[in-house]
Amino acid sequence: MDPRRPAIYVLALLAIGFGFLITAQWRSQLIVPADRVAQNQALVASAQSLARQNSADRSQVANLRAKLDRLEAQAAQGSSAAARLSATVQELRVEAGATPLRGPGVTVRLADGKPGPDLQGATAWIVTYEDVQDVVNVLFQGGAEGVAVNGHRITPRSSFQGTGGAVIIGQSPPLLAPFEISGVGDRSGIQALLAQNGVLGDLRLRQRLYGVGLDWTGAANLTLPATDSSLEVTYAHTP
Amino acid sequence: MGLISAVLAFVTVVQLRSQAEVQASLAGQNNTALAFLIDDLHRTHDRLSAETQVLSQRLQALQAGNAQAAISALQLEQRQLDIIDGLVPVSGPGVVLTVDAPLTAVDVQDALNNIRLAGAEAIMVDGQRVITGSVVVDAAGGVVIDGVAEGSPWTFTAIGDPTQLTTAAELMARSLQSDPRVIAVSYRTATTVKIPAVLKPRPLVYGTP
Repeated sequence: MDPRRPAIYVLALLAIGFGFLITAQWRSQLIVPADRVAQNQALVASAQSLARQNSADRSQVANLRAKLDRLEAQAAQGSSAAARLSATVQELRVEAGATPLRGPGVTVRLADGKPGPDLQGATAWIVTYEDVQDVVNVLFQGGAEGVAVNGHRITPRSSFQGTGGAVIIGQSPPLLAPFEISGVGDRSGIQALLAQNGVLGDLRLRQRLYGVGLDWTGAANLTLPATDSSLEVTYAHTP
Repeated sequence: MGLISAVLAFVTVVQLRSQAEVQASLAGQNNTALAFLIDDLHRTHDRLSAETQVLSQRLQALQAGNAQAAISALQLEQRQLDIIDGLVPVSGPGVVLTVDAPLTAVDVQDALNNIRLAGAEAIMVDGQRVITGSVVVDAAGGVVIDGVAEGSPWTFTAIGDPTQLTTAAELMARSLQSDPRVIAVSYRTATTVKIPAVLKPRPLVYGTP
């Protein structure tokens, strides 16, 4: 277990998992076989079907956002008021990750290592969602104006979760190593921060002990896609 | 147009790779982990479906073809993005979690992540609005959030689905009560929680949309 995280969070995750086991069984409307193996196969099939459905949903979201970008740009040409408003909204979209972003930046690569002989080495060689989250945080700290993980854009509402080596960001599918985490922004600032010994200390330690892959390169022109996750606002409203 | 085409092609490649990753991620998972994943996949589908509906309505309004339709659609989107980007005060149903403990930056980030997993649409820590991308780091004597020092007692205020947020707050409170560092922890749910704190707009310096 990652020594940085209190053991109580493992208990919390197990409690969540048990509660969701009950909920998921009802929601998936499966006739649950008595046999555990058959039950596992049924759950895998259900997960695969849902994942395919979500993949189609994400494609649709991406296509709709691209069409909206195009139509709004065209409509804005017909009116100076629309053009000014379009420019304002475009800046807001960038911050929200709702539009592609390109520019100089840095790509950090994380890869699984190899199991070690010690107790911690049984799992510490695997890149987890916490590692990915740490790198995302460092990129923003170093001056990134936008970040994406394996092609999935980070938004102001992005959450990180995962089990084992599978990482889910917001409404992304499960992502596996190797991870490419790209930040567009202050390339020099980001690289200088990454080079500091105290930064990403746990990953650096596991790199030495278990061969976890950690490296980065700068680039003059990176492109981050728009988010394919939901940005819907239902409960929060302006006073 | 060239950038949009290139990005759509990129999205297609990412989706194909993602399907392979889904397959690989399911292999060897136990039933508890699969059930957890299935529930998350359902919630993802719900959110993506709602987003598709909103975007489709906006597209229909624009396809009406006049500048006024464009202005109305853009104004609606501006209001939504102002909230998402943390640029305006907001209120709504939510929870307030108070923790009296010497939390580290990792603790605060974990708490924020748990709150976001519960679908929070706006979050404030003590008196500061935070989003994913807010810089949370350890400093002498405490934690600094976006350059401002914060410390115990911590107050996490979140607006969103009250049922999901209450469940998350309950689980977090129970977990924290077992932590020897924690002096006290409590939470309350309210039909109206106010988040007056806002972030300053950050104009692009290096990137272009």
